[in-house]
Amino acid sequence: MTDEVIALEGVWKIFGENADTAMAAVLDRGLSKPEVLEEFGCVVGIVDVTFKVNRGEIFCVMGLSGSGKSTMVRHLNRLIEPTAGSISILGRDMLALSSTELREMRAKKIGMVFQHMALLPHRTVRDNVAFPLQVRGEPKSRRWEVSMTCLERVNLTGYEDRFPHELSGGMQQRVGLARALASDPDVLLMDEPFSALDPLIRRQLQDQFMALSAELKKTTVFITHDLDEAIRIGNRIAIMNDGRFVQIGTPEEIVTNPANEYVRDFVEGISKLKLVFAHSIMVPIDEYTNTRPSVSYDESPRIHHGTDLDNLIDIATTTDNVIVITDDEGMDVGVIDRATLLKGVQGGKA
Amino acid sequence: MTKSAKMTSLQDVEDFAVENGSYYAEQFGKIQGKTGFTWSWNTMAAVFGPLWGAARGVWGFFWIFLVLELFALVQVGRGLWGELGAEQLVRYERLMANIARREEQAAELIAAGDPEGAQSKLNIADNLRSVADNTLIEAEAASGKALSILILGLALVVMIKVAEGVYANYAYEAQYLRYRSGKKAQAGIRRSGIVFGAIGIVAIWPLTLIRFTVTKPDEMVAGLTGGLLGERITISKFPVGKEYFAQLSKQGDAGFDWLAINFGGVFDGVSAGIRQVLDWLELLLIQTPWPVVMFVTVVMALRLAGPRVAIFTAASLAYLAFMGLWELAMITVALIGAGAFLCVLMGIPLGIWFGKSRRAYTFAEPVLDFMQTMPAFVYLIPIIAFFGTGKPPGVLATVIFAMPPVIRLTALGMRGVPESTKEAAVAFGCTPRQLLFNVELPLALPSIMTGINQTILMALSMVVIASLIGAEGLGALILEALQYAAKGQGLLGGLAILFCAMVIDRIAQGVYRKKVGGR
Repeated sequence: MTDEVIALEGVWKIFGENADTAMAAVLDRGLSKPEVLEEFGCVVGIVDVTFKVNRGEIFCVMGLSGSGKSTMVRHLNRLIEPTAGSISILGRDMLALSSTELREMRAKKIGMVFQHMALLPHRTVRDNVAFPLQVRGEPKSRRWEVSMTCLERVNLTGYEDRFPHELSGGMQQRVGLARALASDPDVLLMDEPFSALDPLIRRQLQDQFMALSAELKKTTVFITHDLDEAIRIGNRIAIMNDGRFVQIGTPEEIVTNPANEYVRDFVEGISKLKLVFAHSIMVPIDEYTNTRPSVSYDESPRIHHGTDLDNLIDIATTTDNVIVITDDEGMDVGVIDRATLLKGVQGGKA
Repeated sequence: MTKSAKMTSLQDVEDFAVENGSYYAEQFGKIQGKTGFTWSWNTMAAVFGPLWGAARGVWGFFWIFLVLELFALVQVGRGLWGELGAEQLVRYERLMANIARREEQAAELIAAGDPEGAQSKLNIADNLRSVADNTLIEAEAASGKALSILILGLALVVMIKVAEGVYANYAYEAQYLRYRSGKKAQAGIRRSGIVFGAIGIVAIWPLTLIRFTVTKPDEMVAGLTGGLLGERITISKFPVGKEYFAQLSKQGDAGFDWLAINFGGVFDGVSAGIRQVLDWLELLLIQTPWPVVMFVTVVMALRLAGPRVAIFTAASLAYLAFMGLWELAMITVALIGAGAFLCVLMGIPLGIWFGKSRRAYTFAEPVLDFMQTMPAFVYLIPIIAFFGTGKPPGVLATVIFAMPPVIRLTALGMRGVPESTKEAAVAFGCTPRQLLFNVELPLALPSIMTGINQTILMALSMVVIASLIGAEGLGALILEALQYAAKGQGLLGGLAILFCAMVIDRIAQGVYRKKVGGR
């Protein structure tokens, strides 16, 4: 089995009656969004999105409201049909599936968590969690067994006979998570799962989710409008704007090397202490020696190049000397002095 | 205060008013500068009245003063040429003719040798003569009023003109504000407005004036128009009688007859189906020994709706039993039960359909309105033609009247299911059928239950009307009371229906609360 669990290739979504003609025109003439709206009365939702997610990876999609991130994630289980492009999940071409096969995929392979929980108010927590299994036609005993396991995973044991409205928002969302896990899917789609919660609960749930995902290693596409959350959770992050993927990269790449103004604006307010590492702000040792021939490295602490800013600051406060950075073999490769460090804290890249 | 900060900049008002812009700028400034009333006189408006409003596009002004001026002009017209007292004169002449006829008869009777009969005729003639004299006096008095009516009319004209002059700028300022907020209010003077206003005045004033000031308006108009209006087309009465109505209603009759003859089998089938349900229910309610029915009903009330409703139910059943209305009540309940059952059976699927398809609902809406608002008698007539009289057609009439609520509320409930919940269910692989039974119907249930409840109560309100076409039960009892003006019987029967309704309603509500309260 391939390691690419999710692969999207040139996916477009245009909303409106003349979507297909509009699509053709866009490909032909390269119309902009406002032009498409003007000419065809169609709204362009997703623009040429291409990405891959590997097994066990958490892929965050970050964008403001209206950027098309929720629309994008709904393409993965075809809640929304793409206008153009290809979508494959677990090596299967999603667009070629019959409606029965598609239901099968949704019920067994793809779990989803929603921003507004979308629990069924007339069912107990247990029956809510077991809903995907019921849809699949599993017997009651099996449903109950699985839902107990899932509720245990999200620390909701003892609440299984309550109704959703008796639970707090955070607990409801944990039920939502348990429901998504109930069918033991390969892929987890999370559509702003924690956005409607207050900051404290959100952080708790993020921790819980990360612990859970370290254990279960589900391939996850995580939608959020909060860059902090994306950085905390994601192995890789895609920044989305106006239906387009502006940049895809690891949290560090995004923070230290924003692709354009838009991303830079976002990254500005982010604390870089744990995202920026010594190797990206250090001055190469030769260059440093050339500008300051008198400097001596004898007293300097030797630090591995993968140390983050947070640790560098701790070390800098214990010594008056510059910090020497070593590579994996222990060779001296770079230098960080106070000025470089402060610049690094400020801007990410010196 | 700087000029630009003023609420109304001069240039802006001039752009709006175009003609006489500076005058209006000044007047609007005056009006806006004060709270309450300010004296602001518009001579053009006072002189031209409604026409000014038409020209400036102030149509409220146009219509108000069109009517007011017309009223004043009618008074003036009556004072100047109105044949006041003409009605009395006509009456006087009629009386005189009558008297002459009596006298003639009296003369004949004398000739025939019947002086007593002749005397009585003459007495009548004398009485009539005094009445005729009085009428003549009234006529003279009325014509003497002409001057005072003329003066009143002229005073009215002056008052209205003053009102026009004063009110015009206020109305126009309001229109200016609409113009500023971009609601496409007319700016300046428009010729089309003048033309339309003039046409309006010509169409309304002359005929109305003639009608109210002349005794024989049709003849007068005929004289003025060379016989086209007035003689050929009367203005005091619509020239067409019931010709079209009679024609169409005759065709309607034929249509219904045709249906009744050609689709008799279908109607008989429907009738038989309803009778089946009805028989089944009557068997259950009437053939079952009364203690069993009472016991089951009270226990049901207790289990579903609690002890208070159970006590009320027991009391209501006792009332029915001791008043000797038990059997009638059971017949009634079977009747409306059959009606409500059919309503729910057909209404919920229809409601689901209409809830899912907006287009279907658009088509169904007027039909539902028709079913609910059309007086029951209108569809009772064809129902009798198709189904005859008796219980099944009574049930059918009940179904027509009582079905809309359950359809509407089911559709409402279906549309009220949050999209996000449906989406989640689909995301977990629901088939449309699973979606309907596991998500949509349970979430729409409160609304559907309300609909069923409404339907039951509306069915109960139909029992009297159903009894008009021969459905027995409490309705027939009340109908009988109506025919013989038996007040006591009517009241007792009415109470029996009320108790039936309340018991059913309370038990149904109990079920509903249990369902909803469970979550």
